[in-house]
Amino acid sequence: MSYRIPIGPYHLALEEPYKIELDCQGERVTGATLKVGFNFRGIEWLAERKNITKAIALMERVCGICSNVHSMTFCMALEQIGAVEVPPRAQYVRVVVAELERLHSHLLWAGIAAELIGFQTLFMQVFRLRECVMDALESISGNRVNYSMNRIGGVNRDIAHPEAVRQAVSQVQDAVSRTLIPLFTTDQTVAARCRGVGKFSLAEAIAYGAVGPVARASGLDTDIRRDHPYLAYNALDFAVPTRPEGDVLARIVVRALEIVESCRMIDQALERIPAGPLHAGDIYTVPPGEAVARIEGPRGEVFYYVRSDGSDTPTRVKVRTPSFANIPTVTAMVRGSDLADVPLIQGALDPCYSCTDR
Amino acid sequence: MSAAEIRNQIGGSWAERDDGWWLPLPPEQVCAAARTMLAGGARFVALVASPGSQGEFGLSWHWDLKGTLLSVTTTLAAGRPAPSIADIYVGADWAERETRDYYAITFEGRDATPTLMLRAEDAPGMMLSPAEEGRP
Repeated sequence: MSYRIPIGPYHLALEEPYKIELDCQGERVTGATLKVGFNFRGIEWLAERKNITKAIALMERVCGICSNVHSMTFCMALEQIGAVEVPPRAQYVRVVVAELERLHSHLLWAGIAAELIGFQTLFMQVFRLRECVMDALESISGNRVNYSMNRIGGVNRDIAHPEAVRQAVSQVQDAVSRTLIPLFTTDQTVAARCRGVGKFSLAEAIAYGAVGPVARASGLDTDIRRDHPYLAYNALDFAVPTRPEGDVLARIVVRALEIVESCRMIDQALERIPAGPLHAGDIYTVPPGEAVARIEGPRGEVFYYVRSDGSDTPTRVKVRTPSFANIPTVTAMVRGSDLADVPLIQGALDPCYSCTDR
Repeated sequence: MSAAEIRNQIGGSWAERDDGWWLPLPPEQVCAAARTMLAGGARFVALVASPGSQGEFGLSWHWDLKGTLLSVTTTLAAGRPAPSIADIYVGADWAERETRDYYAITFEGRDATPTLMLRAEDAPGMMLSPAEEGRP
């Protein structure tokens, strides 16, 4: 017997609203339809009606988790249009904050994944670790969510206590290497719950335009930090973890391994950070022009297109967030799966509906 | 296929910029370019629409291959439909629906272009509304 199950827009497990309608044959999912837009704020519309200084603060509100990457990518697009040289120290500071943001995002997700699997103890352990990262971000910026670090041509603040940040990151790296990765890669309960669930092939990853850990867990070896280096990433040694399996377990493992790589990058960046200015001066306009800026956010590639007519207000700001690219992939992942696996498959995307809707 | 091979196969006058390679094409050649991108293993990244001063729209489709951005641009005269590539790249479906929401651009080559961010009863073209009252 076939039937349709509407789930959402409000969910018990997710704080953000979206709707999925599942077509089922018995307990088997045969198709899915998604509905988004419940958080739509018209941020692109707003950005084209504010001066660029205000728009930087606005773009930081695209996402509540990866807020920094949005203001940073927006600034990078404007810097490209204006041929603004970002001082080396500022580039390193941006790397450190971006990787700390990836750490807290991945740890948040790992905690939620542990809870979805039914592993409450691990959830507690991961969230305790995440607090170390949140404390480090707060020590740098004074904030736990919107850091206000970026300005056109550099950053607003320095890293006052680099050794404390290195110590916190070392603690995270140690705990993740000793506890989280072995659990996610060898624990039989995790494997039984996640292996072979929510399969998504490499060909599907290309056709859907999947990005970040979702793409890399399907064998798509892509990472803007390595493939099209920006800031100081080409001076850092790091690996890009990929897995060929394309299932929930692969997505878990890729993110866990990325936590370690981010820790390594932060450590290297803080060790090599050069002395010098933090920004290129006060910049309130850029000349006429257009540019695309892309960075590797925690959930994958963030794409910004910005066009300027030379005034202080951008004439076009296009934001393509990673979740905008990844959320449609759930329709392929749930097809043929058990109904009971749908929450886990959705969770393994690490979806952000707020930044998808903008 | 490499990015250079894709560029050669599509042909035309590609321009290299700091952010990647850009190619202007007439609208009727966009789908063929998208098929070449897919055959070459390029990942669809984004569709960007920008209004011009005479009612026309500039559209750019962006792909990535191993970190290289490949962008195809076209200009749509006022009221003209844009070519749909949603049957070539599934990932373009949402991008086209959002473009209709924002600029009331229609896409030919697909059965329907339902709303994405707007509600079904909302009028498309919210980005063209100059006033705060026009914002859903």
